[in-house]
Amino acid sequence: MSAQTSAIAGLRARGWTIDSSAATVVLLLLAAAVFLLIGCLRSTNFAQLTVQGVALGAVYGSLALALVLVYRATHVINFAQGELAMLTTYIAWDLMEHGLSYWAAFAVTLAIAFALGTALEVTIIRPVQHRSVIATVIVTVGLFVLVDGVVNWIWGGDYKFMQSPFGNGSFTVGGVVISHLYVGMVAVVLASVVLVWALFRFTKLGLGMRAAALRPAAASLVGVRVDWMLAIGWGLAAVLGAVAGLMAEPSQIFLSPTLMQPILVYAFAAAVLGGLESPAGAVIGGVAIGVTLTLIVGYVPEISSELQLPFAFAVLLLILLIKPSGLFGRREVRRV
Amino acid sequence: MRRQIPALSALLVVAAVLCVLPFIVSDYNLSLAAQVGIFFIGILGLNILTGYTGQISIGHGAFMAIGGYTTAVMSRDHHTNLVVTMLMAFAICFVVGLIVGLPALRLSGVYLALVTFALAVSVPQLPLQYSTFLGGSGGVQSHRTVGNLWVYTAAWVCSAVLFVLAWLILRGRLGRAFRAVRDSEIAAVASGVELPIYKTLAFGISAAYAGVAGSLFVLAANGFAQPSEFDVFLSLQLLVGAAVAGLGSLWGILAGAAFVGLLPQVSTSVPVIGAQHGRDVVFGAAVILVMLLLPDGFAGLLTRLRRLARA
Amino acid sequence: MPVNRKKFAALLFALLGTAAVAGSAAASHTGTPGVSKQKVVIGGTFPYTGPASLYKTIPAAEQAYYAYVNAKGGVHHRKIVDKTIDDSYNPAETVPAVKQLVEKDHVFAIVGSLGTAPGLSTWGYLNKRHVPQVLLATGDAYWGNCVHHKCQGSTKPWTMGWQPDYPGEAKLYAKYILQHKAGAKIGVLYQNDAYGKNYLAGLKTGLGSHKDQIVDAQSYSVTDAGPVISAHVGHIAASGANVFVIFATPGGAITALATEGHIPNWHPLTINNNVSANRVFMQLAAKNGADLNGVLSTNYLSSATTQANLPGMKLAKKIIHKYAPGGVGSLDEQFASGDSNLVYGLSVAWTFADALKHAGKNPTRKSLMHALRNLNEKNNPFVYPGMVVRTSKKRTFPMQQLVFIKWSGGAAGDFHPTGKVLNSGH
Repeated sequence: MSAQTSAIAGLRARGWTIDSSAATVVLLLLAAAVFLLIGCLRSTNFAQLTVQGVALGAVYGSLALALVLVYRATHVINFAQGELAMLTTYIAWDLMEHGLSYWAAFAVTLAIAFALGTALEVTIIRPVQHRSVIATVIVTVGLFVLVDGVVNWIWGGDYKFMQSPFGNGSFTVGGVVISHLYVGMVAVVLASVVLVWALFRFTKLGLGMRAAALRPAAASLVGVRVDWMLAIGWGLAAVLGAVAGLMAEPSQIFLSPTLMQPILVYAFAAAVLGGLESPAGAVIGGVAIGVTLTLIVGYVPEISSELQLPFAFAVLLLILLIKPSGLFGRREVRRV
Repeated sequence: MRRQIPALSALLVVAAVLCVLPFIVSDYNLSLAAQVGIFFIGILGLNILTGYTGQISIGHGAFMAIGGYTTAVMSRDHHTNLVVTMLMAFAICFVVGLIVGLPALRLSGVYLALVTFALAVSVPQLPLQYSTFLGGSGGVQSHRTVGNLWVYTAAWVCSAVLFVLAWLILRGRLGRAFRAVRDSEIAAVASGVELPIYKTLAFGISAAYAGVAGSLFVLAANGFAQPSEFDVFLSLQLLVGAAVAGLGSLWGILAGAAFVGLLPQVSTSVPVIGAQHGRDVVFGAAVILVMLLLPDGFAGLLTRLRRLARA
Repeated sequence: MPVNRKKFAALLFALLGTAAVAGSAAASHTGTPGVSKQKVVIGGTFPYTGPASLYKTIPAAEQAYYAYVNAKGGVHHRKIVDKTIDDSYNPAETVPAVKQLVEKDHVFAIVGSLGTAPGLSTWGYLNKRHVPQVLLATGDAYWGNCVHHKCQGSTKPWTMGWQPDYPGEAKLYAKYILQHKAGAKIGVLYQNDAYGKNYLAGLKTGLGSHKDQIVDAQSYSVTDAGPVISAHVGHIAASGANVFVIFATPGGAITALATEGHIPNWHPLTINNNVSANRVFMQLAAKNGADLNGVLSTNYLSSATTQANLPGMKLAKKIIHKYAPGGVGSLDEQFASGDSNLVYGLSVAWTFADALKHAGKNPTRKSLMHALRNLNEKNNPFVYPGMVVRTSKKRTFPMQQLVFIKWSGGAAGDFHPTGKVLNSGH
């Protein structure tokens, strides 16, 4: 009897801790939302910065999601993710120079990105994937340097200009200027995230990919081509990265080989904040980082733009020390 | 003892060549050889951490920056003797390395890679922020500047001393503990290795090496320290060098250092790879190929050749 | 075995020690490096790639001018060979590049190299070796102020600039604001480095007791993403400024102008520093939404577009067409669209050829510096009509004159000079 009660109590306790952690996260996010709302209502400047932060955050989130997809599929952090996004943006630019319309180039670029991501997994990641974390990290670092060199080689390092697909217009809501560009950025990123989510949630391919990532051995027993699933995971990540690159470009006005380097660091912070394994977390993390950075730069004069990267570093470090699993991640079990 | 003879004679040949070099090559080529020595120290330090202790760092350029700025600032403000500033760089980076190593206790694998990468991009921002003390983008000019021969000699004397030090560390108790941490943390703890001590210690030693390299790096740049000298590519270059050299072995480091130290300068007159981007393509492609085909780098190649020769 | 190791270590140290001692026999140069009977080899570093690569037409124009001079027989029958290296505007690349030019290619002088930080990273080295580092493509006050005064520990007599210095230019803006916009509220966007701070300091000096009229000064870093710069511009707009001063290199300036165009109901008097007031850059800003009409800047060169009929501009067009390093006609379009950097490159190359002529039949580094310190060019065909490139013992900035220019005609428009030639000097 007493054993039974204590077991139930134990279960309850366990259930409670899980709930409490989830509840804390939800409460935190709610509090943040309320804070932003009040701030936006009270100050136009605050609202202006928030709008901008959300748009930037969407880009960070998109790249963070790409990192998460790769991590879930192959337990690799792809340090070249940002550079690949930059490369595909150059491809889009080139296509437009050859007369394609923006959205036609957009579509073709995503297809190329998918092929590129898949091919990279098969050719250079698969052979080292099971060797060691260090080996895979070094390979993606090599890819980082290689892609950077290739882009400079083909297109040169000078600025390229791409017309914004959403025009230069804007509309004003209660004194806050919201440019069409920002609305478009958020819409495109959200659409791509929803599509990827639907793919995982509702299609057989998505199920296969989840199975391959979580239980490769079991998945292959029931006939899932694990190899292919992982390669497709890389392909999808490259597609999301391409979206991030294309959406980052107009907000920067220029296209240059360093387009994604700072964004990569913010995306790292976003992915870790959300929990490296959580797609939803990556997107929320991206927006959180985007808004926080914009507000801080806008309101704390001591933290000038020079301190943005160190700030992202501090965030990254703090999360890893306080809550390594991030807001939405599961605790990782270390294998011996 | 017989096993040591080829290694020792190789070292002697290298040392002899290094001693003769100043008499036979031009002053400019000597500066290239000095560059190789600087990377030798940096890669050696990174190898102690990544190769022997299994803790990855993509951020060693940050320690080089700290070492380099130590030298430039101390010389600018206090006219400190340059050799003394190098020792200070060693000490300061040792301490900073220990501090950075603390969070590393709780992190491993990809997380450590992320943190060190962020460190590499963050540190060069600091001089821009604190520009009155650290010169901003205008940089810091050391009071005294030295010629190529000075840098060459200092770089290779330091290389020799630090190489012997690394060798002594790694063959002893400390080295065994490091390797135990690398091969299995949990097993290491089970067999009585004090994980926190050895992990942070490896970070400290490795960072101190990078600090000396950074100090020499600035001296080779006419005593001028500037943030963009220490951009993220410097960190990546060290990692590329370490991978080409072969992680977990001391014998390939010269090859790794020569690869990353010489390629940028030597290639400027070569048509296709001459430009900066061509160099990046070669670096990137080389490191991927090495990881795929020659996982143990140049050192692994040496081992294989030796086996072949014996067979 | 242990004995063996100890012996080995001792040997190693002994060998390295010998090397250290023996090193003092460094090679010393005799004669004048880079000067032979047939040619004079000079060198320079430029950002062919990277964030400042919009400037790469400068060395192209310089090389075109040298090719033109060479075709006419050279200077004292010597051809000018200009060896340039890409440093991506990154001092870490500049240092080895300059080392290579000096120690391996043995150039006569470093001529026209671009950028403040790249210049600062090598001036100690070049002055120590007595290598001329001249006609630098940067307007920082260092290049003129440190000839007789100690900077970073020593005087820098082997270093000199060419264009008007930034603080002098900024002082003119201050004067203009005080004259034309009494009681103005001034917002400043400046690059957070020596370049931007030089400008800001000049503006403050020029405003004098009125410097509290600067209601907002925002700094950004060259590596900042567009949105960060936009945020700073938004901040300035919100501060109620009715004068918007931009002290930024082209990338930042274009972003700032475009952002300004996006902010409704904000139409300040906009002042854009000379460095970014290139018609080509301005049109890029217009493409991204900038409203250029009324943007004010300064100039010291003739304009290939609005002054195309000047003899100097006709000559410029001919040289750029025929001698462009990319082949005949490769830079024509760039020239026709008003890329003032091409005219800049020609002017500087003209000054160098002029100085080389005055450096004597057998030029030395010393005689070159002497010629450069005693310039009197009333006839440089590429500078703004009436301006003089002049130096003396006291006058260490070669070009010290500017004229205000104002943009009109919308996106397809151009800068037009307004008012007379002004003195920006010390």
